Amino acid sequence: MKKMNKTSSLVTVLILVFALIISACGKNNAESSPSSSSEPSPTPSASASTPAPSSSAPASGSALEEALAGKYKGTTVTMFGPFTDADQVKFEEAIKDFEQKSGIDIKYEGSKEFEATVSVRVEGGNAPDIADFPQPGLLNNLVQKGKVIDVSSFISADKMKEKYNQSWLDMASMQGPNGPIMAGVWARSSVKSLVWYPKKAFEEAGYTVPKTWDEMMALTEQIAKDGDPAWAIGIESGTATGWPATDWMEDIMLRTTTPENYDKWVKGELPFTDPVVKKAAEKMAEIWLNKDYVYGGTKSIVSTAFGDTPKVMFENPPKAWLHRQASFITTFFPQGLKAGEDYDWFPLPPIDPAYGQPALVAGDIYAMFNDRPEVRAVMEFFTTGESIKTWIQSGGVIAPMNDADPSWYTTDVERRMAELVKNATTIRFDGSDLMPGAVGAGTFWKGMTDYVSGTVDLDTALAEIQKGWPK
Amino acid sequence: MRRRSSRAGSKTVVNVVLAVICLIWLIPTVGLFVSSFRPATEILKTGWWTVLPHKENVAKDQIQLPKDTDLRQPIEVNGQTFSDDQLREGVKSADGTTFMWQNRRARTIDVLEPGWIMNTEFTAENYKGVLTGKTYEIKDTDGTVKTKKGNGMSQAFINTLVVSIPATIIPILIATFAAYAFAWLRFPLRKTMFVIVIMLLVVPLQIAMIPILRDYTALGLNGTFLGIWLAHAGFGLPLATYFMYSYISQLPRDLFESAFMDGASNFTIFTRLILPLSVPSIASISIFQFLWVWNDYLVALIFIGNQPDVQVLSMKIADMVGTRGNDWHLLTAAAFVSMLMPLAVFFGLQKYFVRGLLGGSVKG
Repeated sequence: MKKMNKTSSLVTVLILVFALIISACGKNNAESSPSSSSEPSPTPSASASTPAPSSSAPASGSALEEALAGKYKGTTVTMFGPFTDADQVKFEEAIKDFEQKSGIDIKYEGSKEFEATVSVRVEGGNAPDIADFPQPGLLNNLVQKGKVIDVSSFISADKMKEKYNQSWLDMASMQGPNGPIMAGVWARSSVKSLVWYPKKAFEEAGYTVPKTWDEMMALTEQIAKDGDPAWAIGIESGTATGWPATDWMEDIMLRTTTPENYDKWVKGELPFTDPVVKKAAEKMAEIWLNKDYVYGGTKSIVSTAFGDTPKVMFENPPKAWLHRQASFITTFFPQGLKAGEDYDWFPLPPIDPAYGQPALVAGDIYAMFNDRPEVRAVMEFFTTGESIKTWIQSGGVIAPMNDADPSWYTTDVERRMAELVKNATTIRFDGSDLMPGAVGAGTFWKGMTDYVSGTVDLDTALAEIQKGWPK
Repeated sequence: MRRRSSRAGSKTVVNVVLAVICLIWLIPTVGLFVSSFRPATEILKTGWWTVLPHKENVAKDQIQLPKDTDLRQPIEVNGQTFSDDQLREGVKSADGTTFMWQNRRARTIDVLEPGWIMNTEFTAENYKGVLTGKTYEIKDTDGTVKTKKGNGMSQAFINTLVVSIPATIIPILIATFAAYAFAWLRFPLRKTMFVIVIMLLVVPLQIAMIPILRDYTALGLNGTFLGIWLAHAGFGLPLATYFMYSYISQLPRDLFESAFMDGASNFTIFTRLILPLSVPSIASISIFQFLWVWNDYLVALIFIGNQPDVQVLSMKIADMVGTRGNDWHLLTAAAFVSMLMPLAVFFGLQKYFVRGLLGGSVKG
């Protein structure tokens, strides 16, 4: 027993040494990674990819033309994004034609945990070629670390101007370690300033679509007198509870103050405790905190899942009549309803005529992490309306690109959304998506939830939200 | 006599307490199971327990108030006056029935009386959606609508098996070797190494993720089954080693000494004695490890990703609810489908817990 068998002890020792090395490596890397990572150089060229021989030569035509000519046949471009399930099918359908023509295989990977995973992957050197960011704030973090490739390095500014409205380009321009870069291309968008209503019942009841905020409040009061709460509001969304409330705030901010103030507010220069912001919150409270105006009363706002909220509008008779939510909410409507017949929308009306009819939008920006010619080609493809054509046709997205044909929208309801954005006095991006995560996806959600649930008063709530800003 | 009866009494008490605890533990599962057969609209309206017969207010009659009734004033119903709030909540009237708004807009009031009812609307749609995949409608360029079928769970189910089985066998095999060495072999730094293994038990796996991901990227192991097997093996080893050690070190020393005297090598002792004797313990740690790998989301999320050819069940289920969680009702059915395998494993290996393998082995 004392004499041990050499082989088996050797195996054991080897295993232990391996374990030791692993643990040692782990500590080492964890300490060194934030300060000085070895591989990604300041100019973020391809991290692990093998550069194709033809890449560095100045291209004669654009990458997209070369791709369509079949130059990159057989190459693969990996994509990573947050949409799954139905959205994923629609996306894959939309790019199928391009894949066939160019021979580039776009491998899309969707994850519900995109926000959490993408940073880990980029830090771990396993960045996808292209990632789809629904929150530009998150992309901004990666741009600051110098991980994102400047789109303007291969698509000229003129070309971008031709494809997108200037405000989209402004929103895509971010501050990298070596000056401002074009961080990505806008691929799909949704409009947020919409008030949905059950059209058929609405007209039968003799109500009319309000043009101003006062008309809307009068309608709300009229509906309350008739016996129903006008608004269906719910902000429960798991760990993201509170976000629909932030959309309301942003929409009202756009209608009660200047766009400059809105930008300052989003950047953190205008604090939440400022009277301007407080005024917007009070305007919102006129509806939210009136138990006669909200289905289920104010107390049910916090506990109602945002997706289930609009369903009460389509009961017979409707239990609520108005619902402010972004364009995607139609996927939550009961099945079998017809757009333009059973339901429709009107833009959330202006409050102060001085600020006209603004539009709050959100969108997905595609950013590029590995610089290979076929990736460039795919990125350029995403600047064309063609890249989401079938998606537009099957509904649920609005094209941010100028070359998307209005006739692609199969329903009037969606075509009018595109027009709303085009004709809006000001277009602003969802502010909470632009703010740093600690505020935009943290204290802002929580503060609004606390205020609506009545845990704290408005001043305390706004002060709490403001605390989220990094000092 | 007295003592015996009191012992029997305490046994009944223990059994009753255990039964109650079991029941409490089971309730969420039962609820989930019932919900998995209910249509989404019903789940929103009523709780799963309403499928059981229960007493509830049932409408017996309706009262039509004048259309111009002002809702913000006290409202008169059959000679009694109530406030609007009372009528929303339901209010007892003089004759014992309950008044409640049926339709506020039309100013009709329900007269409710308690009665027995049960909810019997069931559907298999949830399971259908989960097992065969959902169908999506896509409008084509020329305006025709074509339906496209999404993937069901079968591919993910197989992927999860491919991940789980090796990720259970590899660490447990290594851990059993290691445990034998720690328990019965003498070599330098044995204690130190064992302490290090124990220390690794408390290291959270999250801190190792980015470093390992970097190494995997360099080695090209990302998104491969080999990568996730190794990751699970690494994360599972400390506990498995410790667990196996505590069992193997308890085996009687005489057994090995006699085997050693008869000329058995360490390898023979391990394969002929240790392995058969530790089957109960291997079975139980296997269940732990298997369940952990089967249910794992985080490790799979980081190291294997979401490509359909490697995607595991936990991630597939999470994706099924849609980008914005619109298909949450599929979760109940998906949870039950994913539960099948762990249940099968548990019941399959259960007999190893009861078998007393060591009985009489040292005699003679």
